[in-house]
Amino acid sequence: MNNQNEPNEPIPQGTLDMLILQTLARYGRLHGFEIANAIQQRSEDVLRVEEGSLYPALQRLLVQGWISGEWAKTEENRRARYYQVTASGRRQLERELSRYRRVSEAIGRILQPV
Amino acid sequence: MFASIASGWRKLLFFSRRSQFHDQLQQEMSLHMELRARQLREQGIEAREADEIVHREFGNLTLLREESRDVWIWRWLENAWHDLRLGARQLGKSPGFAAVAILTLALGIGANTAIFSLLNAVLLRTLPVPHPEELVLFGAARANGSTEDVPDGATTLFSYPFFREFRRSNHVFSDVGAVFSILFGAYGRINGGAAMEKISVELVSGTYFTALDIRPVKGRLLNADDDETPGGHPFAVASYSWWQRRFSMNPSAVGTKIAIGSTVYTIVGVAPPGFFGLTVGQAPDLWVPLTMEKEISPGWNGLPGNMFQSLHLIARRKYGVSDQQAQAETNLLFRRILRDYQGPQPANGTLEAIQRAHVDLTPAATGRSPLRTQFALPLRVLMAIVALVLLIACGNVANLLLARGAARRREIAVRMSIGAGRSRLIRQLLIESGLLGFIGALTGAALAWGATRLLMGIASEGSDRIQINVTPDLAVLSFTFAVAIVTVMLFGAAPAVFATSLELAPALGGSRGVAAAAQRSLLSRCLVAGQVALSLVLLTGAGLFLRSLTNLMNIDTGFDKRNVLLLAFDPASAGYKREARLQSVMARMEERVGSLPGVHGASFALSVFDGGGWTDDVTVPGQPPLRRDVVHNVVGSHYLDVMKMPVVLGRALDASDTAASRKVAVINETMARTYFPGISPLGRTFTVSAGIGSPSEWQNLEVVGVVKDAKYFNLQEEQDSAAFYPHSQHLPLILNRFVVRYTGDLREIVPEIRRAAAEIDPNLPVAETQTLIQHIDNAVLNKRLVAQLSAFFGGLAAFLACIGIYGVMSYGVARRTNEFGIRMALGAERSHVLWIVLGEAFWLGLAGVAIGLALALASGLLVTSLLVGVKPYDPLSIGVAMAAMVSVALFAGYLPARRATHIDPMVALRDE
Repeated sequence: MNNQNEPNEPIPQGTLDMLILQTLARYGRLHGFEIANAIQQRSEDVLRVEEGSLYPALQRLLVQGWISGEWAKTEENRRARYYQVTASGRRQLERELSRYRRVSEAIGRILQPV
Repeated sequence: MFASIASGWRKLLFFSRRSQFHDQLQQEMSLHMELRARQLREQGIEAREADEIVHREFGNLTLLREESRDVWIWRWLENAWHDLRLGARQLGKSPGFAAVAILTLALGIGANTAIFSLLNAVLLRTLPVPHPEELVLFGAARANGSTEDVPDGATTLFSYPFFREFRRSNHVFSDVGAVFSILFGAYGRINGGAAMEKISVELVSGTYFTALDIRPVKGRLLNADDDETPGGHPFAVASYSWWQRRFSMNPSAVGTKIAIGSTVYTIVGVAPPGFFGLTVGQAPDLWVPLTMEKEISPGWNGLPGNMFQSLHLIARRKYGVSDQQAQAETNLLFRRILRDYQGPQPANGTLEAIQRAHVDLTPAATGRSPLRTQFALPLRVLMAIVALVLLIACGNVANLLLARGAARRREIAVRMSIGAGRSRLIRQLLIESGLLGFIGALTGAALAWGATRLLMGIASEGSDRIQINVTPDLAVLSFTFAVAIVTVMLFGAAPAVFATSLELAPALGGSRGVAAAAQRSLLSRCLVAGQVALSLVLLTGAGLFLRSLTNLMNIDTGFDKRNVLLLAFDPASAGYKREARLQSVMARMEERVGSLPGVHGASFALSVFDGGGWTDDVTVPGQPPLRRDVVHNVVGSHYLDVMKMPVVLGRALDASDTAASRKVAVINETMARTYFPGISPLGRTFTVSAGIGSPSEWQNLEVVGVVKDAKYFNLQEEQDSAAFYPHSQHLPLILNRFVVRYTGDLREIVPEIRRAAAEIDPNLPVAETQTLIQHIDNAVLNKRLVAQLSAFFGGLAAFLACIGIYGVMSYGVARRTNEFGIRMALGAERSHVLWIVLGEAFWLGLAGVAIGLALALASGLLVTSLLVGVKPYDPLSIGVAMAAMVSVALFAGYLPARRATHIDPMVALRDE
């Protein structure tokens, strides 16, 4: 499933929160491993979420109230914390998306071939 | 904004469930690692390698956990910092409000801190020694002096041989130390200097320092070797503060020679800083071995006496020995040693008395203090008083905040309408209160620092007897901190809740929110009524204490305290022993001083009012012993004249009573009635059971006169029997007290007396000089302190309540401006408007007084034991306090009422 020959790219700085929010907005309830996996799959294995930054990021989003977490059983009957995006999380996502779009369009304009 | 309040709650949750947080994170991550490892295995990677990869990917787990946790803490700090800055800005916008609030809080918190520092220093602080909780005193150590009586019941004074024997034989204490129960105010020459310097000396056993387990900062302390040879250990340990004061901490002070009496002592070391011995309120300069007792004080020459019981004992319990074990062995050993001292044929009843005798081991972690019996209750009462003052101050600040909340209604409404949550706003308002409280506490602590010094100054007026360390320590600081927090909660919570409970539409619309305003004004009225009530309690208390003090000072002492000078001589320091030359010096001194211009008479005495004395029982031939204490006083022939104690029968002591003539006594009326009922005591004889010196001196004393009853030790004592003996017939006795009756200017007379004394013996130091009135004032210091401080705090409380009423009335008048305008436009008289406002103030005051009356009656009962000659429900005190508070209410209402009458109807109506 993973192409071992192509190295994974680290996630650009400042976008992890947005990616997590977007992932949760798309799939609903996910636990930490599923989030990491979903991002990786969605990026067709280009991006790889480092666990070392995933969990602090989840805490940050919890503190801000953008996501909520609740404990539940997995299909294999294991306890896991499932995260969901909240209403204010959705608003935050929209803000970040529009900012990101503006920035990337601007960058795109700069990088247009002469 | 909503997010921030919610994050506040989550953050709180986080702090309360920290360990759970870590567990959950741990669980989450291990599940992740497991799933990831499985994923890798499914890709065909070998199990062990998969694990390694997972661990590498996760990196440092601890660091990861810490980072996740820091997210929360950092967030918290950020929020707090933000709120603090906002709070400071808000306060800065209304500096007048902030200043009044801070000053009010500073007064309240400062008063509490000041009284608590005293309470802490006198009652709570532990001795500066290692493991003070292991220390025990033998008995309560309340008695001072010496006794020869066979112990019967609870005992607290012990003899030197007993101490040595007990220390040797016991198995429950790691060491036992002994302290002479009296601190000696000696005079000495340092390094051969010319001046006699005042040095307070405490006699202790060498083991005292080992039992307390303290270390010297210089040289050595005393040890068990210094307890060997009576008279053979002329060494001294200096206290740290004396070393600082007298030697400027010069290390070469060790080795200094000090001549006291006819002995030269060498300073061998310096005690650690802060160490003052066991007695809170005393500060010895020098510790000298008990083996030097006779040399320091020839009057107390009882070292070898098995029954010369004059020591307090302190011991350190061995590790692992229980209270019960220590107590049991102590009593067993105590009775055995005591029994051995009685010889083979003990007197009747002695063995039974010994069986009843016991030592109650008393925890000594906080040392001992005669101050405690005198000041424990007064300090607690003062603590309660200042707590009430603080409550009143809180009331004022709460009212200020309520009014401010009303003024900020629009700002708060705007913030709420754009989405600020209520709890978030309440937090912000509480943080503002917290800032006020914090600055108030800082200012208060500074005030307290000054106030405690002032109080110590008052308490030590005229004498240097009370020496306690009132420097704020950890206990005081944490107390102030706790008080500040409680205070903030008290004054800040309700206004914050009120300020944020508004209906948005009217508040934004600009018209006055009627319902909320009514509620708010009800709350502020209740606060003011409460302040009046508490002030009434304090004023009533002040009245009771002031009346007690007046009554106390008006008690008939039985002598004329005016125009008497009280001096202390110290013949022992000048090297006098109990010898004939002392007698001639004393006689010459009385004659010389007595004939100075402006002096009507002078006399030595064993004791003059307060400061201890000699009590013992007497027997009258042919009568069964009464076993009742009689106060014995040995005095000069003019003593009764000087004190103006009138002789009612027979004659006073006079020059005809010499060593060669018949031994005589003058007794008081109570003694005449008790021991010679129904007959004339003149010419009858009695015997003092245990006299000072040789027993024969005190047998068959003939009564030559009866003198009027008087107070001998304190103003409130039951009337004692008393007898006076001429010192010319009881040599050799060292008398320290010297009384002089004078007329004219003391500033001229005192130097004259000193000159006269120096002519008789230049070495004889004249210690304290004070008037008898000052001396008696000192004896009622605790009552005076309570009376004066309660009057001060009562006034402060009334003042704060006055400000409170003024504030509420002013606010009310401002709020009703257009109502008054309409009334006056419709023709209401100015006086009518005046009475509306004054009437409100009056009812407010009256309501407070009514509540306060009940409180005052109830709290009066708690202080009954401090009252003298007044009942706790004293109508005069209560009446005056009630009248005062109603007047305060009217006074506070008058200014706003005047303002209401000056409202211009046109302006008022246009205003809306």
